[in-house]
Amino acid sequence: MRLYIDNAKCTGCRACLVACSLNLFQESNPKKAALLLIPHFPAPGVYEMKVCTQCGDCARVCPTEAIKLNERGAYYVDHDECDLCEACVPECPEEVMFVRAELANHAWKCDLCGDCVLVCGTDALWIAE
Amino acid sequence: MNGYGGNILRVDLSTGKITRQPTPADMAKNYLGGRGFGAYFLFTEVPAKADPLGLENKLIISSGPLSGLMVPGAGKCDFTTKSPLTGGYASASLGGHFTAEMKYAGIDSLILEGISPKPVYLFIDDEQVELRDASAMWGKGAITLEKELKEQFGEEFQIAVIGPGGENGVAFAHINHDFGRQAGRGGVGTVMGAKKVKAIVLRGTKQIPVADVQLYRESSMALFKACKEADMLKEWQRYGTTIVTSWCDEVGALPTRNFSAGSFEDGKTLYGPVMREQIVITDKGCFGCPSPCGKYSKVGRYKSHVEGPEYETIGMLGSNLGISDIQDVAQANLLCDELGIDTISTGSVIGWAMECYEKGILTKEDTGGLELKFGNVPATFTLIEKIARREGLGKLLSQGVKKAAQQVGKGSEKFAIHVKGMEQSAYATHYATAMLLAYMTCDVGAHHNRAWAITYDLQVGRERVAEDKVARVIWLQNFRPMFDVLGACRLQWVELGIDRNLYVPVLEAITGVHRTWEDLEKIGERIWNLNRLYWKREIEDFDRSWDLPSPRFYQEPPKTGVTAGKITNYEDVQTLLDMYYEQRGWSHEGLPTNDTLARLDLAALAN
Amino acid sequence: MPATLRPYGLLKEYVAQQSEVSVASGRTIRETLLELGIPVDIVALVTVNDVPQSKDYLLQDGDTVRLLAVIGGG
Repeated sequence: MRLYIDNAKCTGCRACLVACSLNLFQESNPKKAALLLIPHFPAPGVYEMKVCTQCGDCARVCPTEAIKLNERGAYYVDHDECDLCEACVPECPEEVMFVRAELANHAWKCDLCGDCVLVCGTDALWIAE
Repeated sequence: MNGYGGNILRVDLSTGKITRQPTPADMAKNYLGGRGFGAYFLFTEVPAKADPLGLENKLIISSGPLSGLMVPGAGKCDFTTKSPLTGGYASASLGGHFTAEMKYAGIDSLILEGISPKPVYLFIDDEQVELRDASAMWGKGAITLEKELKEQFGEEFQIAVIGPGGENGVAFAHINHDFGRQAGRGGVGTVMGAKKVKAIVLRGTKQIPVADVQLYRESSMALFKACKEADMLKEWQRYGTTIVTSWCDEVGALPTRNFSAGSFEDGKTLYGPVMREQIVITDKGCFGCPSPCGKYSKVGRYKSHVEGPEYETIGMLGSNLGISDIQDVAQANLLCDELGIDTISTGSVIGWAMECYEKGILTKEDTGGLELKFGNVPATFTLIEKIARREGLGKLLSQGVKKAAQQVGKGSEKFAIHVKGMEQSAYATHYATAMLLAYMTCDVGAHHNRAWAITYDLQVGRERVAEDKVARVIWLQNFRPMFDVLGACRLQWVELGIDRNLYVPVLEAITGVHRTWEDLEKIGERIWNLNRLYWKREIEDFDRSWDLPSPRFYQEPPKTGVTAGKITNYEDVQTLLDMYYEQRGWSHEGLPTNDTLARLDLAALAN
Repeated sequence: MPATLRPYGLLKEYVAQQSEVSVASGRTIRETLLELGIPVDIVALVTVNDVPQSKDYLLQDGDTVRLLAVIGGG
C-alpha cells in the first residue's frame, strides 16, 4: 500500500501538510510534513506534489536501521534509533525524506496514516496498492 | 495562550524600533483575534482625526485563533486601518497562506506604525525581524515582485506586496499575496505605501499551542468530513464565486453599465461555465481549504495568467463597464493585480467615468483622447494604468468615486455608486431591500461581505420592507464577520452550508475556552458597535445621512433587464433605516445608546 | 422513465425535505419548478447530467437534475 497523488487535482491548500505534521509530531506545522508541495506560479499556474511511494530505498541505506515497517506495511522512522546522519535523504527518489535538525531531532517520512487523504477536499490524494 | 501566536509585534517605521509584547489575555477574551484585534487597536491607538496617510495612522495585520491550524479555510488575515478612501473604518480580509505563517512566527497582530524615511520591506524569520532597503524593488509590479522574492527567499516564505498603485497613493490600493489573493478594499495598500513599506517577507517554524490535541484533531476531522460531504461541493469547486454570475443576471442583481440596470443583455459570455471552458486551468485553494474557490486562469488572447476573475471582478470590470468577453475581464483583473489596485473600486470609478463621458460631462479633452464609452476594452486597460499612475483622468479617479464626483459635479454625484465613500460591490440593489440595507449599513461602506441577503430577499419578497428582513441583516452582520475574527474563511458555511456548530468544539479544543455561537455573535455585536463609534468619532458630520445608498437605487428604475421599472422608494429607505437603528439599539441618528454600550461592555471605551 | 430532480440545501424545504423527486419529462425546468412550488428565482444553478443548463431546458427521460441555491452569497 502507498499514497498516490493526482497533481491536476491539487489546489495547493496544504491541508494535507498540516494533517501530516499533526500525525507525526502532534503539531500543526506544515514544514514538518512528509509530503512535498511545489507550486509553479505565476506560470504555468499549477501545483506539483511529491509523495512517498514506500519504495524502501531509505530503509535499505539507513546505517542504524532506524527506518522500519509499521502495522500498515509502511516504512517509518524510529525516533530513538535515528541519529540524523542524513544518509537516507539523497536516496529518496521523490525528495520526501526529511532531515531538519532545527525542527526535529530525527528524520521524518510518511507512515501512511491516511490523514492527508481525509482532509483533501478534491480527492487528489488516495491510498492503494 | 492556547490557539495564539502569543505576540503583538510592533514596527515603528519612523525610528526603526521593533518591539514584541505578549498578546493581552483580556483582549483575546473580549475581541478574540483577527478583525476583533484590528478594531480594538484602531479605536484605542490611532488618535481621533488622524491623517490616514500620516504618521499617526497604523496598519494592523492580525491572524485569528483558528489561523494556521487544521481547520477548513484557516487562512484569513485581517488588515485594519483608518481608510484613506472613506476617512472611516477600513478592514480588508486576505486569504492565502500569510495568516498561517504569522501564527508559526508567533505573531497575533503585526502593527506598522509611523512612516519610514526610505522605502523598506519587512523581513521576519521567527525571532529575526528586520527592516531592509526596498529602493531596488520600489516601482515593481506586485505579481512580478512576489515571484522575485519567492525565488530569492524560497517557497517557505510568505509574501505580501503592494504595487505601484499603493506607492503612488491611489486611494483604493490593495495588498497582494500568493499570486492572486488580496487584502482588497478601503485603501489598506495605500496606507502601506504611505508608510513606504513595499513588502512583508515572512516565515515561522514554531508550534501553535493547542489545549486538547486529540479533541482538536477529532473535531477538525468532523469539519473536513462535513465539507467533503456537502451537497454543493462539486459545483463550488468547479466554478467558485462564478457560480452566481448567471444567477445574478437572471434576478437583476448583476451591475450593468454603472449600475443603471441589473441584467446585461450581452452577459452570457461572462458566465461561470463559459469562463471555465475558456480560461480556467487550476482550482487554487487558500490555507486548509477543501472547497477551493480560486480559479487560476490562462488567458490565451493576452498570453497571460491570472487568479480569477472572481464574481466581483466579473461584475465590476465586466458587465458594469459593458464588457462582455471574459478574457478581456481577466486581463483587466491582471492589470489591477499587478498595479496593486482594488478591482471593485476600479470598476466602479471607470463605470462612473464612462457614464460621465456618454452624458457629455467628461469630454475627450478630460479623458486624454480616450473614447470612454461603455464596452471600450482598450480604453479600460489604458485607464486602469492611468489610475495606478495617477495621471490625467486617472488622477481624478484615483481618489475614489465620491471625491471624483464631488469635484466634477454637474449631477454626476447622483450616479456615483457608493456608501460612505466606499464604492458599492457587485450586486445591483434597485429591487432587493435586505441587500440594499446591508450595503447601507456595512461598517466599511458599501461592501457585501458582512451581510449577503439576496436569496432571503427573493424568498420572502424582494420589495418587502419588514422587521424580519432587518433582523436577518443584523444577524448576518453579527455572525459572518466572526469568521474574520477567528481567522478562517466563512465560505464553507456560506457556500457549502455546513453546520456552523461544528466549529464550536474545534474552537474549544484549540483555545481551551468554550464559546457558543451566541457568545461569538455577542463579540461580533461588540465589534460592530465599536466600529460605529469609530465612524462617529472620525467623521465631523457623521449622521444617518451617511447610511443612505446612492440615489440611483431610489430614483432611477432600470430601463432594461429583469428589474426594469422597479425601484425602492425613498420613504422605504428611511423606514429600513429606522427599523435597523431600533433593532440595533441605536438612536434615531444611528448611534449606539448608552444602554446598548453598557450591555456590550463598551461604556468605558466610548468615554 | 421520467426525470429525477435533486433539490439541495434550502430548496428541500419546498418539497417536504425530499432529496429526490421524480418529475415528468417534456417540460422545461422552469415549468417543473413552478409546478413543485419551488421559487424559480432562488434556484441559482441548474445542472442536467452534470452540465449547467438554463431554466428553459426541456427535460428528457432519464435526466438527472441538480438544483442549487446560493445560501449565503459571497
